[in-house]
Amino acid sequence: MKLKYWLGLLIVVGAIGYMIWGGLGNSLVYFITPSEYFQDQAKYAGKRVRLGGLVKQGTVQYDPKTLELRFVLTDGVAEVPVFHKGTPPALFKEGQGVVVEGRFEGAVFHGDNLLIKHSETYQPPKEGYTPEDVRRLIEEAK
Amino acid sequence: MTPGLLGNVALVLGFVFTALGLLLSLFAWWAKDARYVEAAKRAAWLSFLAALAAFFALEWALLTDDFSIAYTAKNHSTKSPTWVKFATLWAALEGSILLWATFQALYTVLAARKLKDYWMAPAVLGTLLGIELFFFGVMLFVANPFAPVPHPPSEGPGPNPLLQNHWMMAVHPVLMYLGFVGISVPFAYAVAAMLARRYQSWVAETRWWTLVAFGFLTAAIFAGGWWSYEVLGWGGYWAWDPVENASFIPWLLLAAFLHTALVQERRGMFKTWNFAYITLAYAATVFGTFLTRSGVIQSVHAFVEGAVGPVFLGFLLAVLLVGFSLLSRVASEVRDVGGLNLVSREGLLLGASLVFATMAFVVVLGTLFPLIVEAATGDKVSVGSPFFDAVFAPLGAVLLLLMGAGPLFPWGGIDAYAARALSLMASALALATAVALLFGAGFGVALGVGLFAYNLTALLAQAGRGVSAWRKKGRGALAAVLAYLTRARRQVGAQLVHFGVALAALAIVFSQAYRVDAQKTLEIGEQARIGGLEVRLLDLRAKDEGFRFAVIADVEVEGVGVMHPRLHYYPTMNSPLAAPSVHYGLYNDDYLILQAFDTEEGRWATIRLVRTPLVLWLWIAGGIILFGILYIVFPGFSWGRKRAAEVAA
Repeated sequence: MKLKYWLGLLIVVGAIGYMIWGGLGNSLVYFITPSEYFQDQAKYAGKRVRLGGLVKQGTVQYDPKTLELRFVLTDGVAEVPVFHKGTPPALFKEGQGVVVEGRFEGAVFHGDNLLIKHSETYQPPKEGYTPEDVRRLIEEAK
Repeated sequence: MTPGLLGNVALVLGFVFTALGLLLSLFAWWAKDARYVEAAKRAAWLSFLAALAAFFALEWALLTDDFSIAYTAKNHSTKSPTWVKFATLWAALEGSILLWATFQALYTVLAARKLKDYWMAPAVLGTLLGIELFFFGVMLFVANPFAPVPHPPSEGPGPNPLLQNHWMMAVHPVLMYLGFVGISVPFAYAVAAMLARRYQSWVAETRWWTLVAFGFLTAAIFAGGWWSYEVLGWGGYWAWDPVENASFIPWLLLAAFLHTALVQERRGMFKTWNFAYITLAYAATVFGTFLTRSGVIQSVHAFVEGAVGPVFLGFLLAVLLVGFSLLSRVASEVRDVGGLNLVSREGLLLGASLVFATMAFVVVLGTLFPLIVEAATGDKVSVGSPFFDAVFAPLGAVLLLLMGAGPLFPWGGIDAYAARALSLMASALALATAVALLFGAGFGVALGVGLFAYNLTALLAQAGRGVSAWRKKGRGALAAVLAYLTRARRQVGAQLVHFGVALAALAIVFSQAYRVDAQKTLEIGEQARIGGLEVRLLDLRAKDEGFRFAVIADVEVEGVGVMHPRLHYYPTMNSPLAAPSVHYGLYNDDYLILQAFDTEEGRWATIRLVRTPLVLWLWIAGGIILFGILYIVFPGFSWGRKRAAEVAA
């Protein structure tokens, strides 16, 4: 009798543990910059990631009719073309720090959630910034 | 006399009286003399009056635009409407701690009036006053809303615009704190019970408090969900955001406690579980405050910067230390009466509490996991809704199964009636799932429909059992129903709550599965199909509302009429806030958002339509759950009819 209960308990705990562990493994969303992506492309292939960086000057194309937004995300070293379907947030502009959540499809990053990283003290970074500068800028702007 | 002076004097007096009350309680405990308890109660009264004075001092400052204290200078604006000015008291950190302290003092006084047990009274009062002392201490030494400002400004930024955007924000935090503080009373009783080694009676004595706290927490969570739905402009009601999680964890643990407490009250079992659950539930309220107020969730680096964070972390550790060190000390002495048969009402109640506790664990894990990963590997990760949804769906299904079956079982085992009802419920589950599948529903939705039918059958079977007990005593059909409804209030109330939960689950399943979300840019006068509905943009206009500037789109939606989604521009914010326009319907909600508009010539606007089924039923379910709790709780402290309810059960 006692053994039966312990066995049942073990199965239940095991199932829940497996569920939690599997769930966590599949739904972790990494926050990376473009250069971190290029360092280990295989790790992020087909996975949902949050890509952070600056909107590169002169690359924004938005058509309010089709709601298609294209721009290039940069961290000073590496660049990624981004495609996003939907209205850009009000503060979206060139040089702005943004985080795009989505997936890589080929060389283009398809975002479905676009967040502006903005704080009261936000300053666009100076020329010659590094990926570390960009990362710090975005993290501090939360 | 200025608000700042009154506030500071009140805080100091409150601190002193609370400390005095605590000392008197300790002395009463040590000297085993009830007279000191009476004196401690008076001190608790005085500290409540002091907290009230501080509360009014801050309202005074807010309503008279007095910027000479830190809180108004940072969070107040003369341009706010009066209700916003009043609610600004709990719109930021220092003020919300003042509100918390005021409620804590109020509950301490109310709980003190009901202290009966000679041995436990000093410990209950001492614990409550200890908690109250912490909050007065935080205000005096860490986050004083009345700190003087050397050069008072003539105008401030006002509270966070997200909070001004909807009247619900004036209500939601108050409900939340009433719930949080409410858990402190059963927790204090549990500490006292462990100290005084009187392990059985505290559960029944605090039942009223537990239910009241649970009711407030439930109301607060539903209100928060509704606020998020009406204000945040993404058409959803729950996002597994850390702040939402912080309110959900105590609710889950309190739900776990409620179910095992019932067993202890009737059968004298699960005493250790109950001490553990209530300690964890109270700790979770502090944990939630720590998470949301310290900035630890956004970034590990904010850890050392926030002054309030470490203080609440210390308090959290103190609560856990007190609870669990007492528990480990008495664990060897606590003996449950009789062995446990899992296939019985108590067995299923334990099962339900375990599911609730697992859910709480999952929420804690999911909320903290990014911190763990970052500490271990340096990777920045986030855990989003997919994780919580994936784990909560099966756990929720198990909970719904247990919820229907549990109340049908008699204590100690199973009987013929429960077995018959169970086979009926299983048929309802299978039949409804099959029908839903035939209508083309996915497996998850079909199972949701099946579980709703299962629970509906279960509730009818439970009511049938209750009514037939009265009929056997010779009452007529109608008289038996009436007797059941009025005499077995605890059972009927619980059934209402369970029905509300089943309905909420159904609404959640449908609104998650069949949500339509589409957007399109329209010229003024243009008509187009968005998400299956004909939508025409009639006009785009601007309106200056004093404390904010509004851009309003007049949109005609097929079958609904003209709706007015807006964008609000607040002077302190450089991006606009969307104020969606919601049309509630029995089958579908139509939710319209003004996403963007032509800022140069005002010729076009981007309109987003979110069409979600059955959301209205989620709010109705919340109302039913609250009504069920009220049905049990009122008329209040008296439980004279308990015996009658037991006969019916």
